[in-house]
Amino acid sequence: MTSTSVAPAPPTVAAPVHRRRLRANGRRTMTAWLFLLPALIILLAFTLYPMGQAVYLSLTDYNLIRSAEWVGLANYEELMQDPAFWNAFGNTVLYALVVTPVTVVFALLFALMLNQRFAGRAFSRTAIFLPFIVSLGIIAIAWAFLLDPNIGLLSYWLSLIGIAPEQGWLTDPRYAMAAVMIVGVWKNVGFYMVIYLAGLQSIPVDMYEAARLDGAGPWQRFRSITLPLLSNQTLLVSVLALIATLQAFDQIWVMTRGGPFFRTETLVMLIYREGFQELRFGYASAISFVLLVFVFILSMIQFGFLRRKQVTY
Amino acid sequence: MAGCAGQGSGGGGDETNADGKIVLDFWNGFTGPDGPALEQVIADFNASQDEVEVKANIMPWDTLYQKVLTSVAGNDGPDIVAMSATRMPQFADEGLFIPLDDYYEDPDNDTEALATAAVEASMYDGNNYGVPVNYATMMMFYNKDLFSAAGLDPEAPPTTWDEFAAMVPQLSVDENGDGKPEQYAIALADHETVPIFPSLLWGTGGGIVSEDGTTSMLGDPESIEALDFWVSLVREQRAAPVGLNGADADKLFQTGKAAIEIVGPWMTTGFDEAGLNYGLAKPFAGPAEDAVLADVVSMGLPANTSDEKKEAAYKFFAYWNSPEGQITWANGSGFPPTRADVADQVTESPYPAIFGAPEVADSARVLMPGVAAGGPILETVFTPALQKALNGEGSVEDIFTEASTQVQAELDK
Repeated sequence: MTSTSVAPAPPTVAAPVHRRRLRANGRRTMTAWLFLLPALIILLAFTLYPMGQAVYLSLTDYNLIRSAEWVGLANYEELMQDPAFWNAFGNTVLYALVVTPVTVVFALLFALMLNQRFAGRAFSRTAIFLPFIVSLGIIAIAWAFLLDPNIGLLSYWLSLIGIAPEQGWLTDPRYAMAAVMIVGVWKNVGFYMVIYLAGLQSIPVDMYEAARLDGAGPWQRFRSITLPLLSNQTLLVSVLALIATLQAFDQIWVMTRGGPFFRTETLVMLIYREGFQELRFGYASAISFVLLVFVFILSMIQFGFLRRKQVTY
Repeated sequence: MAGCAGQGSGGGGDETNADGKIVLDFWNGFTGPDGPALEQVIADFNASQDEVEVKANIMPWDTLYQKVLTSVAGNDGPDIVAMSATRMPQFADEGLFIPLDDYYEDPDNDTEALATAAVEASMYDGNNYGVPVNYATMMMFYNKDLFSAAGLDPEAPPTTWDEFAAMVPQLSVDENGDGKPEQYAIALADHETVPIFPSLLWGTGGGIVSEDGTTSMLGDPESIEALDFWVSLVREQRAAPVGLNGADADKLFQTGKAAIEIVGPWMTTGFDEAGLNYGLAKPFAGPAEDAVLADVVSMGLPANTSDEKKEAAYKFFAYWNSPEGQITWANGSGFPPTRADVADQVTESPYPAIFGAPEVADSARVLMPGVAAGGPILETVFTPALQKALNGEGSVEDIFTEASTQVQAELDK
């Protein structure tokens, strides 16, 4: 072995080598920080600072024109007793609890269907993905037209099969929430489908062949191979979809403005109303902070629950 | 950063243009056929002197209300803001506007000639925060062809609530018998609209808040009586569809699917262009009163306005409300002039005379003038309660008695 001749290096020589390596490490660290710097500045300026600012504002009475007046926890105390808050909270939870699983299930179903080879596959994929890239404002206006009780095409078709809503779907308190939910699913399902499609294509084909040789039927192959191997995608899709639904705003805003009588008002819409219409930015910030904490807790639970089912291959 | 702050949108800086004129950025929401008339008056003003130049920035009212506060707070806002006088007290209360009382005190500005209702609409807490841009009464538009088809006299529109109620069965048509009329007696919007429904409470002597703006009247027997009458007309007689917004109501009337609509002069151009054969009349009177809803748009100056700009803005205000300014405005827009003394000189359009007729002007009332919580009361208490009642989610009395306590809570804030 040649190592014996190298080993007894005098400590006097080792020290500068060590120092040089340290300096090199430091330089490498510096380089890393420099590369990270733009992202960090953006994160600090546009996420962390506003977040801190929002927490501060939530403890004040503030209308944008006058300087903020410290009120302590008064906004939070008011919040807990505000029926408008609990109404919006209930609507948000209902919307998220229905729209998230329905979106995920439909995204998976569409992905499974469109992973097969058939004529019109590309068209179908595009058709399902398209709503996701169209501006939300346009989509919401288009749906409002389709559902209009007097000139709406969809209302007309439905009336042909005997379902004739006298007042619009969007202004009838019985149907308004369901209508915005359906549009919410339709709008986003394509995006999650694409994530699932990518996942499906990364599953090795020989696994299915082996399973087939062992006599596994289609349902068994789906249960034992497809679903477990898609668990990473499921985790991603569910977390993303849940966060998105908890923050639902623009589409519902354009379609119903939270009406009729606040039946479709979500937390983010309430934040907007309190802030920009009632000019109570402190109170609006308090609601934002509660929403932030709520989203964080739910995401953590979801993460913990689904990560146990995660697989690596 | 400081270098570009003054560019473009006016802002708090005292910028002048190349000719040394003071430039005033005027935000307003005259997006309709009235926009060109507004621009014409501004162009005339700009040509009339060489010190001030007004630039109109026209955007939808919604957008204006959303943007104005943040932009003024960011010192990058308008120099003059127009808004519904009903909304002004709320913004004045938040410190957005400066009082303009010295404008009214200066005899050169000839403010004595202005319609009293138009001036008083922007009063809040003893100060006046606005100078009127327009003054619009809501009139009853009725479709003469539909009246004839129903066997009614097209020259005899209903003059009282009871007369109207008696005509509802004739004016509402359900051709295919599915229980959903194809033609309604009236297009009466319950949200996102000029507040026609709330103004109907005046007909019995009721209202949303007392005249001094301190007490809720929504639970009073008179208010409940009016609401009962109108809600049951809509719910049981199907006099109007439930859940209409303002634009839907206009569309319904414009397409001949509703025989009557109560709305302002800005719709005349649209209805004319649609070729509608319509008549205009003072809205049917209630059993106790014949109050007509008036809507006033006023111009205010943001809190950060400099003395120099204030003086320049006053020149524009005076021109806008001068006889020549108002004749141009009324002719071009169909709005009645803000001053009665020029009424006979408005000859190009028949509508200003109709909307500004003395018997209409005498009955004109503004909804909740000077009430800072007026906007929130209308949008977050009255409208939701009305929608609940129209959807049959409880009795009118229960719903509005509860809403009345909420109105009182808003007033006491």
